[in-house]
Amino acid sequence: MPYRDLREFLKRLEAEGQLLRVEREVLPEPDIGAAAYAAGEISNGPAIFFEKIKGYDQKKVVMNAHGSWENYALMLELPKGTPLKQLFQELVERWDRFPIPPIVVNNSLLKEVVLKKDINIFDEIPLFRINQYDGGPYLSKAVVISKDPEDVKNQNLGIYRLQVKDKDRLGIQASAQHDIAIHLRKAEELNQPLPVAIAIGNDPIITLVGAMPLQYHEDEYEMAGALRGEPTEIIRAETVDLMVPAGAEIVLEGEIIPRKRRIEGPFGEYTGFYSATMKQAEIKIKAITRRKDPVIFDNLYIGKPWKEHDYILGLMTSVTLYKQLKVMAPEVVSVNAMYCHGYGTIISTKSRVGGYGKIIGAKLLATPHGLIYPKFIIIVDEDIDPFNLNEVMWALITRFRADRDLVLIPNAPGSTLDPAGYPRGLVTRMILDATQPIPPDMPLEGLSLVTPPEEASQWIEELKLIKK
Amino acid sequence: MFCPRCDKDEGIKFFEAPQDRSWELYRCQYCDFIWRNTEKESIKNKDLYHPNFKLNEDRISQMIDKPAIPPLRKRS
Repeated sequence: MPYRDLREFLKRLEAEGQLLRVEREVLPEPDIGAAAYAAGEISNGPAIFFEKIKGYDQKKVVMNAHGSWENYALMLELPKGTPLKQLFQELVERWDRFPIPPIVVNNSLLKEVVLKKDINIFDEIPLFRINQYDGGPYLSKAVVISKDPEDVKNQNLGIYRLQVKDKDRLGIQASAQHDIAIHLRKAEELNQPLPVAIAIGNDPIITLVGAMPLQYHEDEYEMAGALRGEPTEIIRAETVDLMVPAGAEIVLEGEIIPRKRRIEGPFGEYTGFYSATMKQAEIKIKAITRRKDPVIFDNLYIGKPWKEHDYILGLMTSVTLYKQLKVMAPEVVSVNAMYCHGYGTIISTKSRVGGYGKIIGAKLLATPHGLIYPKFIIIVDEDIDPFNLNEVMWALITRFRADRDLVLIPNAPGSTLDPAGYPRGLVTRMILDATQPIPPDMPLEGLSLVTPPEEASQWIEELKLIKK
Repeated sequence: MFCPRCDKDEGIKFFEAPQDRSWELYRCQYCDFIWRNTEKESIKNKDLYHPNFKLNEDRISQMIDKPAIPPLRKRS
């Protein structure tokens, strides 16, 4: 059965030895950020559940809930230890169930406490600084829900960094490539506030779809249903016309203030570097609904890969790009976009004509994610597993001809978080076509691949038996 | 109180530990930096704050708006 909420997932993690409880009292800083970093450094990184936060009576914090392939497999209700390729294949198959629409419920534990005045986020959530030079406490794993002001059927869920700046005021990073930036642009052209709801402590699949680079018109709740295998329960927010995940621990309701920007950041980001400090939009919070205490604050440590964010982003971005490319190019075999949110992406493909690998690279740039992120793009043949970097390096060394197979697109849009951008937000995109040349290109002459001996597979089995 | 990040005398106490007042939170009304009195000196002391992350009016004036504010639509 799919998890209905975060608590069911945490219970399963604990039963499988993938959740550690810290029972002693911890300080918000530096303890929580440091322990979450440490969780990512130990084998099979477990979730860390903090029982007692200094200064709070009953508030709990969980970090690293998605932070290992073991936890990831358990999120998909698969045995821990499921190989990465199988996780990829499982997600590809579940995607084919899309769309499974959500169901609306009228009651939820999320409405046990409803606050509409004297809003103070610090009273409700045990906030903390994640990395030492962050500009303040951040919600780094919350899902933000908004609608297109001119097409209210278009609802979006996305994870955007949220800096808590005051008792009822947040900064939000709405980057130009994100769907919420389209909603915000339209609202600001009309000089209207943009209503938002912020869901914290969600079932693990809601978090996953919040990080997926879906097409603008595609609904994340319908994708969550597909990945879960049954509809997601949603419930109407109290003060904004938005549907929120009924299983959430806490939901903040409010609106983005139109046509104002204030200092936001810096923030330790997925690149492993701090972002610049910029002027970004702000949200005024007007209502909070939540479960009764002890409420659980699920947040994310971010820093140099690999960390929890790489698990949340990496495989799902790969699957999303695979499905989107497959529509445009049925020859695509597999996609690995697990490096810095897809800045580095490797695609394996069959070639329709000579030079086809370069067209596959261009098609990647035509996806929603391709607008900003992929800049180090490697195309390999179908005999190369893009998740096996030894094979990818072999293909690059033996098949890539730098004078013919390198494509550079200078001054292309890039992420403002990319430390190599110059100026920030502009990058050179690079496609390395490491597929073998086929006509009308000139096939490499006189090549004979060393094939495995016919008896090798038989010997592998025999050696395994001897080893036992 | 001086803000450790922008050095302006704009820091105010705005929250304390709800259970036992065991810590206090401060906020700079100018640059929105938040710090807790239980953090390291390198975070809460303006003379020890890392120079790479210090803010001043010159740096703030050079910051870009993200995303850019679009023009208002003309009323038809």
